[in-house]
Amino acid sequence: MEPTAAKAPLDLLPEKVNELLGFLGTQNVNGKPYAATDFVLTNYIFFLFISIVLLSIVIFIAVRKLEMVPKNKLSNAVEALAEFVRNDIAVAMIGHDGAKYFPFLATMFFFILMNNLLGLIPGCKPGTGTMGVTVALSTTVFIFFNAVGFKNQGLWGYIKSFSPKGVPFPINLIVWAIEVFSAILRIFTLAVRLFANMYAGHIILGIFAILTALFTEPLIVAIETHQGIGAAFVGALPSIGWLLLMTALYALEFLVAFVQAYVFTILSAVYIGAAAHEH
Amino acid sequence: MNFIGFGLLYGLAVTAPALTIGIVGGKAAESTARQPEMAGRIFTVFILAAAFVEALALLGFVLGIMVVGKL
Repeated sequence: MEPTAAKAPLDLLPEKVNELLGFLGTQNVNGKPYAATDFVLTNYIFFLFISIVLLSIVIFIAVRKLEMVPKNKLSNAVEALAEFVRNDIAVAMIGHDGAKYFPFLATMFFFILMNNLLGLIPGCKPGTGTMGVTVALSTTVFIFFNAVGFKNQGLWGYIKSFSPKGVPFPINLIVWAIEVFSAILRIFTLAVRLFANMYAGHIILGIFAILTALFTEPLIVAIETHQGIGAAFVGALPSIGWLLLMTALYALEFLVAFVQAYVFTILSAVYIGAAAHEH
Repeated sequence: MNFIGFGLLYGLAVTAPALTIGIVGGKAAESTARQPEMAGRIFTVFILAAAFVEALALLGFVLGIMVVGKL
């Protein structure tokens, strides 16, 4: 065996994974160490801007030439998604006046979807893979559904609507406090769900990519030095399995990108629907 | 020690969500079989419930990595 390959591939895994975790953390674009109080462009925000530009281009191309029966494939795809957001999310969850909130929900859906999909390209980051962005998104949703509630039910009506009708007096107040607390907690749950899905998905993809590379490395070294190719070839066989697993997980992450955009939008629609109507 | 702690954290964090995802998925399949015309609505409810549950499992995973700081 080669002296360079003396360490088993699996022994190298922890330090490589630590490298990956450092890579997934927030970094400055200018290469200086990142501090949370600095007002600088970080890697996540950089890819956030790229995804905004890409989304603008995609939507612009899709709606440039509107037809009754679109022949453009991109137009068809965007139209199908927009129709899905309007019919299956806005109207299905909010009710007959759900189409009124369609612009807000569609913006959220396409923005999150574009960020998630961009993050799947190797080397790119999902803008939604950092807590700062997801908390900003969920705070926007929080302010929006509260504004809708105050507008539709009036100040006192909306405050009162948190406690269910028909509950006797003292328990009434306790239920109201719990409901208000859980409504405020929605900022946190929405943000963490999206962030954790993106972050965990990328860590898992990264770990399988590292495993594939670690098991293949001794073979490359053996071919370069023309020594012990047979043994190294047998040692590299597991990387086929790791590669297949990684491909399967990649497909799963592609699904997750859609499902998380869908879940974020549908939960926003549920909250807006609960605030918009009196129960 | 970190490895053992992380393994325990992830294992414990994922048990209840695993059971719940099984219940949710099984009930969704059962209700789709009973009433195939409602498949669309049932799938929506299934995805919603699964997302709620899945977040708990992922929270354990991410929390572990963040607390340990490294693997």
